[in-house]
Amino acid sequence: MTPSTTASILRDAQAKAGAEFDRGEGSLALPAHFGDAAREYHAARQAAALLDHSTFGRLRITGADALDLLNRLSTNKLIDMQPGHGAGTVLTTNKGRIVDLLVVANLGEELLVITSPGTQERVAEWIDLYTFGEDIAVEDVTQSSSLLSVVGPQAADALGEAVAGLERFDSTDVELGGRPLKVIRTDALGIAGYDVVAPAEHAASVWLDLADRGAVPVGDIAAEAVRVEQGVPRYGRELGEDYNPHEAGLLPFISFDKGCYIGQEVVVRLNTYRKVQKRLMGIAFDGEMPDNDALVEADGKQVGFITSAVDSPALGRPLALAYVRTAHAEAGLAVEVRSGSRTTSGVTLELPLSACAD
Amino acid sequence: MPLTISISEKAAKKAREFAQKNEHEEFGLRVGVKGGGCSGLTYTLSIDADSRPEDKVIEENGIKLFIDKKSYVFLAGTVLEYSDGLNGKGFVFNNPNAKSVCGCGTSFSV
Repeated sequence: MTPSTTASILRDAQAKAGAEFDRGEGSLALPAHFGDAAREYHAARQAAALLDHSTFGRLRITGADALDLLNRLSTNKLIDMQPGHGAGTVLTTNKGRIVDLLVVANLGEELLVITSPGTQERVAEWIDLYTFGEDIAVEDVTQSSSLLSVVGPQAADALGEAVAGLERFDSTDVELGGRPLKVIRTDALGIAGYDVVAPAEHAASVWLDLADRGAVPVGDIAAEAVRVEQGVPRYGRELGEDYNPHEAGLLPFISFDKGCYIGQEVVVRLNTYRKVQKRLMGIAFDGEMPDNDALVEADGKQVGFITSAVDSPALGRPLALAYVRTAHAEAGLAVEVRSGSRTTSGVTLELPLSACAD
Repeated sequence: MPLTISISEKAAKKAREFAQKNEHEEFGLRVGVKGGGCSGLTYTLSIDADSRPEDKVIEENGIKLFIDKKSYVFLAGTVLEYSDGLNGKGFVFNNPNAKSVCGCGTSFSV
């Protein structure tokens, strides 16, 4: 079975569950919704939500030097990573800019690297560029595998006992419908969440099995609302070579005592001398939702720009992620956002939201 | 820029002393780069008994240099020197390809 056939079978299964693929160009192939985005949001916040994250890239990396090389290329300490464990880590340029945010999971015989959607080729090329005599092989398995995410406070219940007690980025084997699956806890939307990796030809059956076990199929609208409320950056919006890891709030994925990696000198200097120019925060709006990329002003001066905007069910009004200049990056700042001829007023706040509505 | 890699007389002498101290009789100096270090690439230097089939082999001042093909691209024109004294850094790569080096000088970018 070819990968494209597999993808269409999964889409057929999703369509039968009411999926509406109406986001048009730039869509990440996730259905916009399954008929009721409000109910889907509620499932992610209160129960268990099922998302098709197959567009996230997947690289299978083998070889005795694999961990050592990735450790030399990225911000987190990977070198002592034992089978069953994993980490989030940032590939950075020698100028300390973000190439991509990766999940690296040590599955024992191999490392599974989860990239951002569409960046897997770039990441594989980046690793190859810095491979000299090392024993390492990188295989792009994005097309031959599927990635379904189960997120929410009851996500573990849908996957069974094997995942109980898994720490973030740890992985385990789970059997579902007689099929062995790899499950990695990634908390991808900033709430408890598990990535289920299966061969592509099993994607539709795994999807149906997980739905049978209570995970509610969720589309992009609800997933984006949760992501923005949790302040989780996404590649192409908040992540990329225009930004460094400090600005994007990726400090939990930086080791300051691991020694050298590409970009380390810049990343450490930014920290030591407090040279970070801007940072991600939230802006809640009184009126209409602003456009992505709209400029943020305070007292008539530009202080930042919007990167992602959603209707936030928790706040009951529009909420955006924005990069705000460090000097202005405090909660409670009144701002105005211009989208074309429209001006919307809002106020800055810290993410993730501390208390979410039901 | 000469498209070769050379080793200064002093560096050759120090390499020979090091090899003799470690009881290597027939040897070459493996010179290369690897990914990592703040600037992206770091130099590698080791004693190797034999060259590998894909290596470029250069002999100067009585020392054989073994360089793998991919490293050679980043090292062409480099002079391997030795800096001694209290503040000395030991073996030093003077690499005309290096556009920037990190603070401690052990890694570079091209």
